[in-house]
Amino acid sequence: MSIRWDGESLTRNGAGRRFRIDLRCTAGEPVDDAWAHVCALPDPAAALRYDEPEVQQARRDALAWFIPLLGDELVCLTTLALDASLFGGAITVARSPRAFADDPFARLFPGTVVRTSLFSIVPPPPGPAIERYSGLAWPGGQFHNR
Amino acid sequence: MERFPDLELPDHTARPRRLSELAGGDPLALVTSRGWWCPKEQRFLRGLVALQDEFEVAYSRIVVLSVDPPEVQSAFRAGLGARFTFLSDHERRYVEQLGLRETTDTVHDPYLPAAFMLHPDLWVHSSYNGYWFWGRPTPQEIREDMRAITRAIRPDWDPPR
Repeated sequence: MSIRWDGESLTRNGAGRRFRIDLRCTAGEPVDDAWAHVCALPDPAAALRYDEPEVQQARRDALAWFIPLLGDELVCLTTLALDASLFGGAITVARSPRAFADDPFARLFPGTVVRTSLFSIVPPPPGPAIERYSGLAWPGGQFHNR
Repeated sequence: MERFPDLELPDHTARPRRLSELAGGDPLALVTSRGWWCPKEQRFLRGLVALQDEFEVAYSRIVVLSVDPPEVQSAFRAGLGARFTFLSDHERRYVEQLGLRETTDTVHDPYLPAAFMLHPDLWVHSSYNGYWFWGRPTPQEIREDMRAITRAIRPDWDPPR
């Protein structure tokens, strides 16, 4: 599953840069008129490696305090994967934009607030894992056990 | 070996959670704790916080269960710097079922300190009685338990050739 971002609007199949997201974020019943904080740029050169320390730390901060700060308002959160190693940003979806000013992913790419009805409710990641499963967009995925 | 009950309780943000969902296909270290007020719990959980830097890259989970209300757990978790989930049994729904009521504390009526190293499907690999502090698992024992569970469940423990 991917999402497109042109700097002003989020779409599934419209214009703009394509990002892979946590599959669960669009698998359920969409939440109407939610708020999305899109920390990403349409510029195809805007990318970091998932394993760079500043990207790891943003994920730690999301687990430690950003997700608790969002509380019940959280709809879902996904990082934006470009391929097996590259990170293009993150989207936090909530019922209110109240906490977006504190988004740790905005340290990496500037945040833009938009209204959206594309995303569904996903339980927040339990932590403390920040590693990805087989290159999927964190916090999605899991391994298949015996 | 037995299977740990699939608890359904609010987390530290008061969101309903299920233990198997929190495990999410990974090994799980589940710790029952008296509560924020106990110095032994504070010390033990600071050790778990130190260990979370290994868990975060090892596809393994940590969950703490206590009778503290979610808002108290949230503050305690933030103070510790924890990045894992706390489950709140402030209504004491499971304490008797699990046989983990600390009968000697009639003030707080808390959980006994214990630890359970679980497979992703909640089968118990090992358990620790932490009534006395030295009964709790050391970081090295937790590592060894996580290694044993991971070796048992990951088909590529021996690298593909």
